[in-house]
Amino acid sequence: MYRRAGRGRLLLLAFVALSIVVITLDFRQGDNGPLERAKEISSAIVTPIQRGLTAVFRPVGNFFSSVSELSSLRSENHELQASVESLQSEITEAKSLLNENARLRDLLDLDEAYPTLERVTATVISNAPANYKWAVTIDRGSADGITDDMPVIDPNGLVGKTTDVYAHTATVLLLIDPQACAKSRVVGTGFTGGVCGNGAQHALSLEFIDTDADVEVNDQVVTAGYDDGIFPSNIPVGQIVSVTGEEAASQQTIEVDPWVDFTALDFVQVIIERQARVTTEKVK
Amino acid sequence: MALTAGPSKAPGILSDIGFGRVFAVGAMVLVAVAVQSTVLARLTLLGVIPQLILVVVVSLAYTDGPRVGVTAGFFGGLLQDLLLPQSIVGLTALVYTLIGYAVGNLRQFAPNESVWMPVFAVAFASAVAEASYALLAIMLGQQWVSLTFTAKVAGLVVLYNTLLTPFAYPLVRRVADKFRPERVYRW
Repeated sequence: MYRRAGRGRLLLLAFVALSIVVITLDFRQGDNGPLERAKEISSAIVTPIQRGLTAVFRPVGNFFSSVSELSSLRSENHELQASVESLQSEITEAKSLLNENARLRDLLDLDEAYPTLERVTATVISNAPANYKWAVTIDRGSADGITDDMPVIDPNGLVGKTTDVYAHTATVLLLIDPQACAKSRVVGTGFTGGVCGNGAQHALSLEFIDTDADVEVNDQVVTAGYDDGIFPSNIPVGQIVSVTGEEAASQQTIEVDPWVDFTALDFVQVIIERQARVTTEKVK
Repeated sequence: MALTAGPSKAPGILSDIGFGRVFAVGAMVLVAVAVQSTVLARLTLLGVIPQLILVVVVSLAYTDGPRVGVTAGFFGGLLQDLLLPQSIVGLTALVYTLIGYAVGNLRQFAPNESVWMPVFAVAFASAVAEASYALLAIMLGQQWVSLTFTAKVAGLVVLYNTLLTPFAYPLVRRVADKFRPERVYRW
């Protein structure tokens, strides 16, 4: 009895000491410390199991949600058929406009618009297994041309940016994470600021904006690609849902409702093409 | 009480644990991490992910004592830390190590074969773990969400973890029993 308890204490001390060493290492290390290696190894070990579980369980979840929608599917099908035909002609039109747009942008030396930038489509294989970190892991990595700090989007708009990139997987820090911010612009006004996350279930907040910025509810927010920001301009972010504290000009709280549904991310796209910037000295 | 763990040939901290057992504990922790980050991360309770890793750590500590509890706690917590971007690595490891030790040592005071004890242990451990993680993260300067959100998350994690215990605990116990070296007496 005594001996067992004693040994338990020894192990406890050893692992507590080790935890503190790891925490210290984490605070001190740069981008290439020993913990980065440990992260890569642990990700390589866990990812295959996560892939398997996602492959097995995601269709099950989707099945349950689609059973309830079965009745509306037929009429929806007809509507979609009709819209496909009309969209087909619009695509042809859009393509020619896109070409023209690209030519004109070249002539004017403008940044490329983000829809034309090269991107990689990825499947989400897992979420961050914690309640205070909003991130997902995707099944593409440095082998597909992904590096740190690349913009990640889905059809609705800005999702986040890549952080820990390994050979065949990468972690995406979601825009709703408290540590995520994106330089943004309020459409139709000249005002720029940073849209920052506040965790799930909370609206994004628009910060660092002019204290007397004249913005209104329902104004659209898109990324602003100025300076050495990592996001190309004009990616949809969300819509302003509340503006409070205008009287006290020093403290204006602007809440932005994101377009992206962060609880149901299945596929995302990573924009892997860096823009050649003409206006800045530092290319990130 | 003669509760030594059989004749250990080589004196050492891990000498009498055995490879099969190390493998079994490792596999359980790994599976818990994977399930928590995929299936459970989608099956949230009001947006909150249950901490299955902690449930497994507490279950292991409860069935196998402080040494297995401490080991599973450290590696389970560390693995969770390593999978999170821009978080303090080692913090969950520290918290779960302490939980594994506490549960492993306190279980001897539990009434024998009580079905409810593991459930209480998980509920209590979840509350302590959530509170101490938040406290330490804030103290170490991690960017944090509001305290009301933290309280809500902690409450829901306690509830969700407790609900998972009747499923997870018997499973962990069965696997642990299978891989326990012979001649180890249990309380």
